[in-house]
Amino acid sequence: MLHDTPSFDGDVKKLDEGSLTQSENAVLSVRHLEIGFHAKKVIRDINLDMPRGHVVALIGPTGSGKTTFLRSVNRLNDKISGFWTKGSISLQGEELLSKDTDLLELRRKVGMLFQRPNPFPMSIKENVLAGVKAHRLAPKSQHDEIVRENLEKVGLWKAVQDRLNDSPFRLSGGQQQLLCLARSLAVQPEVLLLDEPTSALDPISVEAVENLLRKLVPEITFIVVTHSLAQARRISDHTMFFYDGKLMESGETENIFTDPQMPETQYYISGRMG
Amino acid sequence: MSIVETSADDAKNDATGRFHPNLLGRRTPIAIISAIATTVPAIAVIAVLLVLLSKALPAIKYNGVHFLTSTAWNPGNFYANPVVTNGVEHPILAKYGVWPLLAGTLESSIIALIFALPLSVGAAFIVAKKLPPRLRSIASTFLELLAGIPSVIFGLWGALTLGPILSKHIYPFFAHHAPNIIFFRLFRGNTGNGEGLLTSALVLGIMVIPIIASTTRDLITAVPRLTEEGAAALGFTEWEITRKVTFPWISAGVIGATVLGFARALGETMAVAMVSGAVLGTVPHTIYSTYSTIAAAIVTQLDSALTDATGLAVETLAEAALILMAVTLLANVAARYLVKRVSSTSLPIGKGL
Ligand SMILES: Nc1ncnc2c1ncn2[C@@H]1O[C@H](COP(=O)(O)OP(=O)(O)OP(=O)(O)O)[C@@H](O)[C@H]1O
Ligand SMILES: [Mg+2]
Repeated sequence: MLHDTPSFDGDVKKLDEGSLTQSENAVLSVRHLEIGFHAKKVIRDINLDMPRGHVVALIGPTGSGKTTFLRSVNRLNDKISGFWTKGSISLQGEELLSKDTDLLELRRKVGMLFQRPNPFPMSIKENVLAGVKAHRLAPKSQHDEIVRENLEKVGLWKAVQDRLNDSPFRLSGGQQQLLCLARSLAVQPEVLLLDEPTSALDPISVEAVENLLRKLVPEITFIVVTHSLAQARRISDHTMFFYDGKLMESGETENIFTDPQMPETQYYISGRMG
Repeated sequence: MSIVETSADDAKNDATGRFHPNLLGRRTPIAIISAIATTVPAIAVIAVLLVLLSKALPAIKYNGVHFLTSTAWNPGNFYANPVVTNGVEHPILAKYGVWPLLAGTLESSIIALIFALPLSVGAAFIVAKKLPPRLRSIASTFLELLAGIPSVIFGLWGALTLGPILSKHIYPFFAHHAPNIIFFRLFRGNTGNGEGLLTSALVLGIMVIPIIASTTRDLITAVPRLTEEGAAALGFTEWEITRKVTFPWISAGVIGATVLGFARALGETMAVAMVSGAVLGTVPHTIYSTYSTIAAAIVTQLDSALTDATGLAVETLAEAALILMAVTLLANVAARYLVKRVSSTSLPIGKGL
């Protein structure tokens, strides 16, 4: 077995109108969330609590709104024309969808790893330090230590310690993705959003990334969008099934996969739906 | 770990060159066409150099190395009997120096870039990032129109409109207020009627802007969205994204575009001939001085040079042209070096300009 499932008391239930009190150990709470582009509604009235310190998998057919939801949490959609939201997302009680939300601070607390590695055009070392410097998190004297610590965390230190000042673009794709992970970890986020983070990687790199997520939990809450049901099952404690902009079903991963309640979920996890 | 081994394998595959068959080794039509396409430009450059060189040879012999440093431009007496020196027949008292023209060429082009580079890069960022899509395409169209305006029209505008306005309303302010100390001294003195170094550098700058700006705009739009979004997702401000991600990503390309613009300014003939004041034989001593460039001098002097029965005047113009070509080639080599240094540090692009 890849991991011991950290204990989590109480199911993440699809909340209904009556029970909208915020659960104690929720890191993210979503209430009556609606998201759209222009006249098109993409997310329809979602309510959920993300348990702190776990890996949560978001699964669902293509176009069901997983990416749109994920990118709304760190407000990355703001610049896209016609984008709108209704309802609320809060991070430990702090509203994220308000006009006054400090986006820079939000993005320090809620990091993101993308579908393909996206190193910045600067040295490997500067990549790791990019967020640390932008947020002035540590004095210069600690920078070397931060670089080493985070590269060690992702298991990249041995491979790159002699070429910290080299270009990151000469690393392999898997190594680049690990570097991007180290870059995200360096700002000590509370939540990390991952949108199909391993879909462009070879199986060995996939395993490396998956192992890392398990290792870094529960300090960080991971929300992972994935099309690989096997991956969702391997790495996640909780699974949320998105369908046509709605949160159809959510619960402990084992339960979702062995005993799905909704017919759409049953179809999807049995591989009968794209 | 095994991840490292994977990348080593990739490198080996690359090194065997499986995907880069030697084009010249195969006699397919495409290979022959490629061979021609790659050799024709090289042959053309060498041919132009050789023709210029052979034409300039008597002038090189007569003018000597002083040609590079002398400020004289005296074709001599065409009506007296020619004299022979160093085996070269020439009008009596003929003495040429290219230094004022060379200095004028470099100075006007460098000043032009000082104006054009920040304006172009700024305009490119605004067009690519700030304008709504419809305005963006309108702005781009105007940029391309600007690139297509014949240089004689820029020259006319510079001589009739820009020059007089600047020399009446703007230059006097600087001329009176610039302190009489090093560098600022260049801004003092007689501002003339608007023809001169600064006016023609400004006109050159405007001509160069579309070259640098449109290339830079294309480079900016080619920066992967994923990379810029990654920076935003890490909590970078917009300015930090521009400064730390977008600009480094395109800098090698911007250097390339700048050299293209510089080469254009070095070789620009008509507009400079019309706005420079066409004065030969003096190095510009203030920013308003009338002067000339190698290219402008060739076009303004050719007519009278052809009346030199000994041919020396024309041969001297060929020698000047040779120097202009050398300067342009040197700028290209320098750019290649710069691009290589910039891109070898951390950039994924930039090798192929
Ligand atoms: N910028 C946009 N403008 C308009 N519609 C959009 C935009 N981005 C996404 N959508 C729409 O929102 C819906 C959900 O898209 P989203 O990318 O969130 O789905 P997804 O679940 O991530 O799909 P996939 O599994 O294929 O990544 C789709 O119908 C899509 O067309
Ligand atoms: Mg998606």
